[in-house]
Parts: sequence; C-alpha cells; structure tokens
Amino acid sequence: MAKANQPPMSRALARRETISGYLFMLPSLIFFFVFVVYPMVMCVFTSLTDATMADGGGNFIGMTNYVNLFQDEIFRKALVNTVIIVVVSVPTVCAFSLWVGACIYKMRDWACSAYRVIFYLPVVTGSVAVTVVWKWIYHYYNGVLNYVGTGLGLWEKNINWLGDTKFALGCIILILFTTSVGQPIVLYVSALGNVDTTLIEAAEVDGATDMQVFWKVKWPQIMPTTLYILVITTINSFQCFALIQLLTSGGPKHATDTVMYYIYYSAFTLYKYGYANAMGVVLAICIAILSAVQFKLAKSE
Amino acid sequence: MKMKKLIAGALAMAMALSLVACGNKDSGGQSGSQTPPPTTGSQSGSQTPSSGGNDLSANLTLATYPVGKMTDETVIKNLIADFNAVYPNVKIDVIYLDYSNGDQTVNSMIEGKSAPDLIFEGPERLVANWGAKGLMVDLKDLLPAGTYDVTSGSCTNAAGAMYELPVCQTAHCMGINKDLFTQAGAMQYINEDTHTWKSTADFLKAVEAVAAIHPQVGVVFCGGQGGDQGNRALVTNMYGGHYTNDTFTRYEANCPENVKALEALRDVNGIEFDPGIVGGDEIGLFCNGTLAMATCWNVGAAQSDTQGKTANFEIFPMAFPTESGDPVLQGGIWGFGIFNNGDDAKIEAAKAFVKFMTEDDAQYAKIVEATGYWPTREVPGMYEGNEIMTEYGKLVPFMGPYYQITLGWPDARTAWWNALQRIGDGGDVQAELDQFVAEANAAAEAAEAG
Amino acid sequence: MNTGVKHRSVYQTVTMILIAIIAVVIFLFPLYWIVTGSFKTPTAINNSVPEWWPSEWVMRNFNELFSKRSAPLWELHVPLSEWFTQDNSQIVFSTGPTVPAAIRWLINTVFMSVTAMIITCVTASLAGYALAKKRFAGRAILFSLIVAAMALPKQVILIPLLREMSNLHLSDTIWSVIFPIVGWPFGVFLMKQFSESIPGEILEAARIDGAGEVKTFTTIVFPMIKPGVGALAIFTFINCWNDYFMQLVMLRGTNVLTMPLGIAKMQGEFGQDYGLLMAGAALASVPIIIVFLAFQKYFTQGITMGAVKG
Repeated sequence: MAKANQPPMSRALARRETISGYLFMLPSLIFFFVFVVYPMVMCVFTSLTDATMADGGGNFIGMTNYVNLFQDEIFRKALVNTVIIVVVSVPTVCAFSLWVGACIYKMRDWACSAYRVIFYLPVVTGSVAVTVVWKWIYHYYNGVLNYVGTGLGLWEKNINWLGDTKFALGCIILILFTTSVGQPIVLYVSALGNVDTTLIEAAEVDGATDMQVFWKVKWPQIMPTTLYILVITTINSFQCFALIQLLTSGGPKHATDTVMYYIYYSAFTLYKYGYANAMGVVLAICIAILSAVQFKLAKSE
Repeated sequence: MKMKKLIAGALAMAMALSLVACGNKDSGGQSGSQTPPPTTGSQSGSQTPSSGGNDLSANLTLATYPVGKMTDETVIKNLIADFNAVYPNVKIDVIYLDYSNGDQTVNSMIEGKSAPDLIFEGPERLVANWGAKGLMVDLKDLLPAGTYDVTSGSCTNAAGAMYELPVCQTAHCMGINKDLFTQAGAMQYINEDTHTWKSTADFLKAVEAVAAIHPQVGVVFCGGQGGDQGNRALVTNMYGGHYTNDTFTRYEANCPENVKALEALRDVNGIEFDPGIVGGDEIGLFCNGTLAMATCWNVGAAQSDTQGKTANFEIFPMAFPTESGDPVLQGGIWGFGIFNNGDDAKIEAAKAFVKFMTEDDAQYAKIVEATGYWPTREVPGMYEGNEIMTEYGKLVPFMGPYYQITLGWPDARTAWWNALQRIGDGGDVQAELDQFVAEANAAAEAAEAG
Repeated sequence: MNTGVKHRSVYQTVTMILIAIIAVVIFLFPLYWIVTGSFKTPTAINNSVPEWWPSEWVMRNFNELFSKRSAPLWELHVPLSEWFTQDNSQIVFSTGPTVPAAIRWLINTVFMSVTAMIITCVTASLAGYALAKKRFAGRAILFSLIVAAMALPKQVILIPLLREMSNLHLSDTIWSVIFPIVGWPFGVFLMKQFSESIPGEILEAARIDGAGEVKTFTTIVFPMIKPGVGALAIFTFINCWNDYFMQLVMLRGTNVLTMPLGIAKMQGEFGQDYGLLMAGAALASVPIIIVFLAFQKYFTQGITMGAVKG
C-alpha cells in the first residue's frame, strides 16, 4: 500500500500499466459487471417504479416505494431480525471459535485434527441437508430434542420450537452457528500455532498468568485472523436464506422474517417487484456501509 | 445492450467447450427425433383426433402441481406418451411443482420470460391469479359438452373468459382416526351414515373426548402456502359464517360466527394453532397417527400411496361440523391452463394436448383417474366398484360455492395465515379478523383497479 | 507454580469435556441422524420415541428416492444452439441412459461447483494481481466497488438477474447459477490481498529481463499466489455447493436440478417423509464428506492460507 515513495512513472509506462491492468482485470470484470453491477443498476431503476408481474416495467413513481418501505411494519421487523441475526451470530461465532481454537491447538495432532474435522462437518454437509435434519430434530411431535428435553425434565411438555415466536429465531441462529464456526476454528488453530513462542516464553518468565499471556501476547498477533473471520462470518450471516425458506417461511408472525427472505417473498408471492427492489437497494446500501467500515478497520490494523 | 450480448455470447461459447453440457431438456415420454412421420390415427384405435392436427410441431413445457398422481413421473409420462402416439412432433417437458414453493417457481419462470405453456392447477391460481394478470389463454372453445355448469362457472372470470379447462373435482373434507375415536367413545357424536357431526357442540365434545386418551387431536395449521381450504371450511362451517361476499368481490371473514368459531377452536382441549406446519404436514401427521384428525383431507389423500395408504388405522371421512347439519364443503377443481407466451404454434399445440386429454371419454377417464378425483362431467362406468370413491362420494353433494376466485386471493391467503398465527398466539380474534379483512380487501381493490 | 499447574489442569479438563460434548451433540449428531435416519423404517421415523440405533435397517428410503424421478445421465448439446433455434431450445446431440434423477442431480452439483471454482480461480487471480500490482487509472474506484459488493446478498439483484438470464438464453441452465457466483467479487478481493505480498523488485527484475506480462504472470506471480488460489478454490467450491438461493430461483427442470434443490423440492412435496428426506440428505452430503476426509489435510491448509494475508 505504501507506494508513495516509488518514483513517478513515465507516461508511456503508465499507459502500458493501464492497458495491461485492464486486460488482466477483463475476464473478471465481465462477470462482475454483467452479473452483479448491471443487475444492481437495474435494481435501482426498478425500485423507482410500481413494476409488477407481466406489466413490462411499470410506471415511474419516484421515491414512493422507499417511503412505503419505512412505514411497512413487516419490513421493519425483518430489518430488526436481520440485525439480530448478524449481531448475535457474528460475535458468538468469533468468540466460540477463538475459545475452541485456543483449547485445541496445543493438543496432540490427531486430536486437534479430529476436532477441526468435526466442527467443519456441517459446512461440508451442505446447508440444505443440515437444515432438513434440524427440522426433524426440532419437530414438535416427534423431534429428538423434545424427547430428550421432556425426558430429562428440562421442560414439561413438547415445545413447538419453530412455531413459537419466542424460540424460532434462536433455533435458526443455532443452525446458522453450526454451519459458520468450521472455518474460523481452522483459522484460529493455525494462527495460534504461528504465534511467536519466544514472546510467550518471555512473558511466562516475567510471571504473566495464562490470561495475561493470551490477551497481551497472543491476541494482538492473531488480530488479522480475527478481522478476516469477522468479514467472512458477516457475509455468511447474510446468506441464511435457505434456513428461513425451508424451516419457517418467515413465520410465526414474521418472527423469522429477514430482509433477504422478505425480498423474495414480496417479489414472488406478492408480485411487488418495484417494492422488492427498493428493499434490495436499502439492504445493499446498509451492507456496503458495513463492509466499508470493516475494511477501514482492517486497514488501520 | 447489443455489445453486452455479444460479449456474453462469446463467453458462453468458451464455456460450452467444456465437455459436460447442462441441457435443460427433459427427455419426455419418448425421444422425439427417432419417431417416424405421423400417420393419421393409425397408432391408436381409441382416439378420434381432430383431423389435420397431427402435423403440429412444438416444444412445450407442462408444469404440474401434486394433484393426486399428477406429479408421479410414470403416470404423467404415460399420459404424454398417449398424446405423442397421435402428435409425435409435440415434445412435452414436465416441471414438477410442490405447494410449498410451486407458486414462486412459476412466478420466477414468468419473470424470466419462460413461463410454462401448460399448467395443471385450480382456479385460485389459474383464474384469480395468473388469469387476472392477463397471462392466460381463454379456453372456452375447448370445453367438452356435458361439463357441469357449476364447475365451468368456477373456472370462468367475471368477464366470461375461461382460464382453466376443468379436468377433475372433489369436495375437501375432514378425516378422522376411527380407531381412536371409537376407543375414546367419540363416535356417538357422529352420524356415521351421512358422515356428518351431530352438531358443532358435539364436535367439540368429541375432540375433548379424544384429547383425554391421545395427546394431540387436531391442529389449526398456519405455516403458510397450501391447504387453507381446510381451516377456512372448519371456521366458516362451525357457526354458519362466511368468508367472502356472495359475488366474490370482497372479504367478509370477520363475521361474528367466524369469531365465535375461532374462539371455540382456541379454547378446546386437543386442538392447537401451529404455525410450524402447513396443510401437507397435517396430512402426514394424521396418516402417521400423531394427529387424530385432519382438516385438509380429501379422497385424493385417502387414495395416495404416500399418505392415506400408509395409515395403519381406519380413516373415516367427515364433513365439517355445523349447527344446522347442513355443511358447506369447499370444492377443489383442477384442470389445465395455457400461458400465452406469444407463440401461436405453441398455444395451438397446447390446446391440442388439452383437447386430447379431455375430449375423448376413454382418455379423459385415464387422466381423471390419475388425479384420483371425480370427473367434471358424467363419465359412464367411472369408478364403478371403487369403495373409497363411493364412500367419499357421499360428501360431494355438500359442495358449496367456489369463492377462491375472489380478487386479491394470493394476498388474502397470506393475510389469512398471519391472522391465524396472531390468533393462535393469543391475539383478540375480532381485531385480528378485522385486520385480515382490511388487508385482503385492500388487495382486492388494488387487483380491481390494476 | 505447582498449584498453578494443578489449577490449569482442572480448568482444562472441564473445558475439554465441554467442547467434546458440544462437538458431539450439535456438530456430529445431526450427521449421525441423517445417516441412520436414511435407513430407518417409516414407523421408526414417526415414532415419538426415537430409535437411537435403527432396530431394522431398510433400503426403502433410498428406493423411494431413486424411483421418484428419472433423468438422462448426461446431455450434450451444440454450444449456443439455443441462440439460433426458433424457440430457443438447445440442439441435443447425445443423451445418456436414463438413471434415477438423484444421480444426475449429484453430477449437476459437482459440475456446477467445479466449473464455478475453476473460472473463479482463473479470473480472480488475474484480477487480484492487477489490482495489487498494476497502477492504472480507475483502480481505486474499482476496488471500492468490489469491497462494497462483496457482502451483497443475491436476493438484492434477483429480479433483474432473472430477466437478464432469459435475455441471454440462460434460463433454467446450470450456467445461470455459475455466472453470478463467478461474478461475485470476494475472490478478487482475496487474491488482491494475496498478491500484495509479491515483492515489486521481482516483477521489476522480470520486466528488465524482457519477460512479457503473460510470462511474468505464469512463471512468477502464479506460483507465488498458488496457496491463495487453493484457499479460494475451496471457498468457492463450498460456497457454490451451498448456494441454495440461486439454484432455487434459477433451476426448475428435473434434469438441471442440483442435489440440495432436489431435497428441498422433495420436502415441499413429501414434507413429513423424513426417511426419504434423510436419504436425500445422506446422498447429498456423504460423498463430499468422504472427499473432505480424504483431503482433510489439504483442505485445512488451503483454508488457513486464505487468512495468512487476508
């Protein structure tokens, strides 16, 4: 990043750099612009119309969709749920994987890899397969969770895990959690393994406790890993569509609606294309800001 | 735009060089390429195809919802093979839909300008939804003689366009686990010969009686999508309420009778409001013995190898409970719709397919049997000696008006689920139904205006 | 010191047990439940008292899974033929034998993930290198755009994308899932971070030696960022394998479905038949788990590489 001290290039060289730069970028840019940027631009246009199914594009209605959006109770609820999912799952995933990573990285090789494999399993199993089996585990009538819970006397009668507003979102976050921690744990194990041992030994000689060694010596060194994990976990948390669609369809009483699901729902169940696109634009802006903040944070470290 | 297309085209070319191609072609009933040129009427003795149509040539897509065995691959491919014996150059790909995501699939196809040519479903989707949006072809001219007026009327919109050619129909009813009801001494509340409840109060007593020996009697499922006819019929029958006005233009489900019914359902032991499941789940739970009764029941489910046939107890069909002893059952009518994709050759071929399936009695009986429901016109000898059909047939005369074609139906259905979810969660029944009516009528007005 | 050691070991034992319990109960158990569930009888599945170990092993669920739908094992079509035929249908010149559709779905899923992985790795490593090492006009803007779009959920661009796919005659083909995944710029970002570590002097030396841009990339740059490419490959593969949403919106025909979508559709149609669903889930997950276990070492190495410079 520190290129300021390099000598300025000649104009011919600069042109050569520009041309070759763009040629290298070209294959990637084609996909990026055709399948991400162009639809995004179209999305902004459509969001200013009342487009619906089979009407050829709808009429221009200005900012009406956006105004309606913020008066839409369901959208607000979906936004809150989305924020809850991100705010709960990102720190939990990071903290849990750091804890597990710290506990297992010093173990014997086979034990450490066994744990890494187990925690990574839900990721390779695939989100749909994992979701379907959890749906069965959570099942109101013959789910194993209710059987064990009532059997051990943890709760009196069967709980309708996915049909109860109090539990549904939590249940979804738990599944999301199992499919999210695999990679962070692998990353932390290797990051902790790479921490400079001489520094740790020096600190121990100075009489530092385990906790002090961890936070004063190891933590700063694994900071880049933590930031990377924050980024990928955030991305992951926004991809929980399959869980919602397969488990609850946003119910009960919109308790598990997320903006991502509500967009799909508004578009393909209610045919409000303009409205759905307005939601998409708002979501994209929020996420772009979030990414920018995270990136700035990462850069400053 | 042109430039982009070129670039994308070049890219796609590069991609396509890889060995495995990902065709979107269904092989259909038979491979079309080796079929000999058509020779009129020689392949099949039973068919009397309209003359000159056999040289039709088109690639069609048929999307079908799980109506009886209509998503059973062998059954549907046999039907297509029958058609191809007469029209060898019309190739039909099948897209199998389900009720949890089928609407969204069709809608995404419409949006992607690749709507199916043929679709098999009921008027609430074909007439009130896609038909109302001007996407469907009027099929009036294909209507076979003798079709019941009530049925064809339900497939026709206010302007007289028929967007669904009816193929089969049924009366949705309830199913009860007779073994459990007998064990609980609850059969005394039932008129076994007419399959009706003695009264609504008796229905509630029966539920309480079964609840005493079985943890879970029934559910008011409200997880969304299909099966809403079940709890709509239950609620409106109990105290004689109604769901829409008589002309099917506005929703009036907030009537005092419905309020009373929902309150009673919420209070009775053994029935729970469950937003965790949908209609199909209820049937599954009933068949595997978890629930003692189903409200989303019909003869199709009773005959299904994956549903009614798996039950290890006696299933007894019932009308919905009423005070008057005069239940009003919800009809189910399914048939073909044709999407207007702007290609006359395709529309003509699709019409030929519909005509082929419905015109000739023998072929018609075949497709009706595949659906597992009743024909929409008199078919001599149909279901003779079939015990299940005879037993369930006793409920058919109770069939009431087909109000599912009220404008704004998709929104109303969604609002209905949400209202039930709120009621189940302890919301004030009157207030929640008022909100439902307000939301549903707003959608109806919007549909009327647009 | 002595007490310290003792204290630590108690604490360690407790955490070890806790981690082991969590690992077994919420990470291992669901997989165990899929595999055993797929061999259980419908009675055992629907019993409210679960069978921890199947009392009777049956193939019924797999038989059901395989008999429900069928599809040709492969279909080769003339590239781009859909642009020239009258109704935009593809000209198929070779069709495989008819097999249970689940097998075709598995093939589709593997093909989709591998293809997306290869294209992404190639395009992203080229672009990442250029972004990191070339100083060209518009670089900063492009990079900001990429960062901004990185976490974008695909639901946002769903409707325009559908219309675009139909304009490009890609509706209901695997490509309509692959291309947006390739376009997703996370890979470029990752490879840019990697390429930052290439010393400028080496590139300068190569240029002075008269090596062309392409040669520089293939002989010098690529070997240096290879670990990063490995990480990206794994990331893209897993991501594509799990990208249920794009599959759901883009694919409908029996022959183009993927394994996850196939299971999801079955759950819509046979919702309460958990035996059948477990058979589908087992078929979708066990092959990739076996591959994962076999290459576990490379897998974890690859993932780790991604973060070194991330």
